[in-house]
Amino acid sequence: MQEPEIQGLKINDVYEGMKERNVKGSTEKLAAAHVTIAGAGGLGSNIAIALTRIGVGHLTLIDFDTVELSNLNRQQFKLSQVDMPKVVAMKQNLQEFNPFVEINIHQVKVTHDNVKELFADADIITEAFDNPAAKAMLLDAASEFYPDKPIVMGTGMAGIHSSNTITTKHPRSNLYIAGDGTSLGAEGLMAPRVMIAAGHEANMVTRLILGDKEI
Amino acid sequence: MVLVNGAEESGVVGQTIAEFLNQRSAPIENIVVEQNGTIVHRADFDTTKISENDKLELISFVGGG
Repeated sequence: MQEPEIQGLKINDVYEGMKERNVKGSTEKLAAAHVTIAGAGGLGSNIAIALTRIGVGHLTLIDFDTVELSNLNRQQFKLSQVDMPKVVAMKQNLQEFNPFVEINIHQVKVTHDNVKELFADADIITEAFDNPAAKAMLLDAASEFYPDKPIVMGTGMAGIHSSNTITTKHPRSNLYIAGDGTSLGAEGLMAPRVMIAAGHEANMVTRLILGDKEI
Repeated sequence: MVLVNGAEESGVVGQTIAEFLNQRSAPIENIVVEQNGTIVHRADFDTTKISENDKLELISFVGGG
């Protein structure tokens, strides 16, 4: 039987080649991890791409929304994907970047009532909402149903303020919050600064998977 | 004496969490409250009272993502 191929290359060569520049010893831990990302917008799409590229083995994406033109200045969708459910479009894009990641999608609004079910299999809960009340709701519900799971969140990445005001904070044992904490979405949200906050969140998730709980 | 995000605040002992938050500028639905290290669930905001020597931490979220 002929060995299956991707882009004319042996599957195993592709898998190994894509890991070549990852940090030594990280691949197996990353491949075993399950990260659930709540929100597939500016934060979520950029976090998902970063985690997909390094080979986090299992990703769950949750978002109720569809792709709009106004998303494209910061969210990792294509013009051809306008009107598609964000989670469907995101899964398509992620699979092109790395076909070895298992991607589960839920097109649903996260509420207090479905947090228990949606995050049951997550090793790490990643918050990537736009709406501040949704952010607060998720922290509240996660602390109720999954008090021991790490939760990585974002708040404040709007405008064109200095990059260096975006930091990761660690206010309690399993809670990590990235952002400047103050800039309001109404100022405008643009890819460069949103990607900084998304990078903070994705790097914290990566550190947690690899066993480092410090910021 | 009650500590709110590390700063002393007077006149809040006996208030419920909901009463306390409604006096502040940030919308109540954007805030998560820790009382002495434990998160007070939203459903308990109306019934949980602030006591002398409490330490409150308010985690306030802004929009954008």
